[in-house]
Amino acid sequence: MARFLCKLDDIADGEARAFGPFDGGRTKAFVVRKGEHIHAYWDACPHYGDTPMAWRTDAYLNAAGDRIVCASHGAEFEIETGRCLLGAALGKSLRPAPIEATANGELVLKG
Amino acid sequence: MNIIGPDALVFGVDDVEACAKYLVAFGLDPVGVDEKGGRFEALDGTGIVLRRRGDPSLPAPLETGAMLRQIVYGVADEATLGAVADELARDRQVQRRADGGIEATDDHGFALRFQRTIRRKLDLPGERVNAPGAPAQRGVNQIGVWQDMPAKPRTLSHVVCFVPDIAQAEAFYVNRLGFKVTDRLGNSGPFLRPAGTNDHHTLFFIQTPVYMKGCEHFAFHMGGPTELMLAGSRFIKAGYQSFWGPGRHKFGSNWFWYFNSPLGCHVEYDADMDQHDDEWAPRETPMSAEAAQAFLFEHREKWAPGGPPPGMGR
Ligand code: FES
Repeated sequence: MARFLCKLDDIADGEARAFGPFDGGRTKAFVVRKGEHIHAYWDACPHYGDTPMAWRTDAYLNAAGDRIVCASHGAEFEIETGRCLLGAALGKSLRPAPIEATANGELVLKG
Repeated sequence: MNIIGPDALVFGVDDVEACAKYLVAFGLDPVGVDEKGGRFEALDGTGIVLRRRGDPSLPAPLETGAMLRQIVYGVADEATLGAVADELARDRQVQRRADGGIEATDDHGFALRFQRTIRRKLDLPGERVNAPGAPAQRGVNQIGVWQDMPAKPRTLSHVVCFVPDIAQAEAFYVNRLGFKVTDRLGNSGPFLRPAGTNDHHTLFFIQTPVYMKGCEHFAFHMGGPTELMLAGSRFIKAGYQSFWGPGRHKFGSNWFWYFNSPLGCHVEYDADMDQHDDEWAPRETPMSAEAAQAFLFEHREKWAPGGPPPGMGR
């Protein structure tokens, strides 16, 4: 069953937003909006395995807004693929989270 | 050499405003802060100095681009400053500044400054505990906690750096600057105590690849575990992100609570650290989750058992 999270338009273009943790879990998920698309990952840095990346609520992007950054040791990730491009998690990728934008502009958690 | 401990850590950051907001929310007091940066002080005047990354007054950055730009050590007296200058001048450039401070780099390229310490003497009670069998530390009718009791960082406790060569880092601080190794976490690094303090450590190293060289975290001492828990809970409520803790380390016995930060490193509240002198024999154990802490908790939002009395629910 898909669970409603928010409207796509609740997130400004180019910005990130965290959701969860869900169902008693410990890990949040976050999405980055790019136009009408979103990219969703678990908030778990592959450098240490499962540590949260933002330094405050929703602060997942670098100053230029063109990469995801882990505040712990500065690893940088490609927004579209989750691949680490620089720093401590090189060779690793963020784990995609099952969040989708529906045709009527809603973000839902699947599963 | 009577080096007391870190007076300040100087950072060159991309977003001065975000970092300033963060440090104030953490509990430090802004002094002379504008859009170019400023000082953020604990109760005894030690603290963090922020500048813009490109500020020409900053020492050159490490080749990794780490935001930590200088570690400022407070020393007890002129004699120590002279001794440090003479010792370091044997194999590296030492600059004497107009204010009497001296500057050089360590063997890994971290910029150091030594100065007559600026720390103010604190006269504050520590956390007081009542325990059966021991005289009460809090008198009758004195309460132990209230929601908005003060919980301010008291002094800059320690800094932890990533270095590629632990042996070289340890040798420099021990052989050249008179630090003592209090304990060792194998395949991680040594806890180091300068001669002018009894604190278990003011400096610790973690071995990493060269490209990570920089600061892992810095910590401020709180007045006790209750202050640490309160300050951390308030920090979370303000929207900041817990990284590890609260818990209590084994080596050093200090309570800890680490947070993510916009300064490219973690920031820690600590409390109730062990004190040592030269009689202490260092312990050594391999680094592991078991060795790193006596216990570990995780924050949750306030909650209380509720609902109607048993049997009344409908
Ligand atoms: S934990 Fe994310 S970069 Fe180290």
